[in-house]
Amino acid sequence: MSETETPPAPVSAAPPRMVVDARGSWCPGPLMELVRVIKDEPVGTEFELLSSDEGSRKDIPMWLEKAHHQLIEVRPESGFDRFIVRKTHD
Amino acid sequence: MSSSDAPPPEQMAVVLTENSADKLLPFATLVSGAVALGFRVDVLASYWGLVAFRKTATASPPSVSPGHGEDGARLESALKAPRAPSWKSILEMAKSIGELHIYACSQSMEILGLSKDELDPLVEGVTGVATFIDRTRSASVSYFI
Repeated sequence: MSETETPPAPVSAAPPRMVVDARGSWCPGPLMELVRVIKDEPVGTEFELLSSDEGSRKDIPMWLEKAHHQLIEVRPESGFDRFIVRKTHD
Repeated sequence: MSSSDAPPPEQMAVVLTENSADKLLPFATLVSGAVALGFRVDVLASYWGLVAFRKTATASPPSVSPGHGEDGARLESALKAPRAPSWKSILEMAKSIGELHIYACSQSMEILGLSKDELDPLVEGVTGVATFIDRTRSASVSYFI
């Protein structure tokens, strides 16, 4: 065993999440916003999509399943929902 | 995902014949929902649906069709809300994320005396009905609005 100093492990900071505020946008505006940012951003990017459209509650998870991206969490907040999403492939 | 083994996109065909806000907004919503889901959408704009794409018409918000009383008034004011999207901006966004093709019906062009230059750039060409039908023969969903 050598006495060399082991370099500190790289700090794996959580990637910054991109907030997509689609509150007030009508169906299917929030979904379109999500499709657009997922298309534009690199694999691994996490998004927080804010939507006040009730249709999003089913539309967003359904689209993510069909498009094979990850829905990490849906957090209901007052007057809107927060969808936490990860782009998993190009 | 490799594109070589991907199936061709599902197709939706829409014939638009109206130009009131209460038709154009559901039309734009349907189309953009389908595009977001990965459908290729082909639209034939005819009669008042073509008039809706006149540059002079897209410059201002469409009016709500009469006879809807308080509900009509609610829609009018909702359309003026600060974050209310216009039907045209919804279509533009749909076009930026997927496949949306809008054609002008050649019969309507002739009857109404319209030229391609008078239409919004969202309209990509003038087409006859047979070409439109041929282009959309494999559509799994079709609407007449």
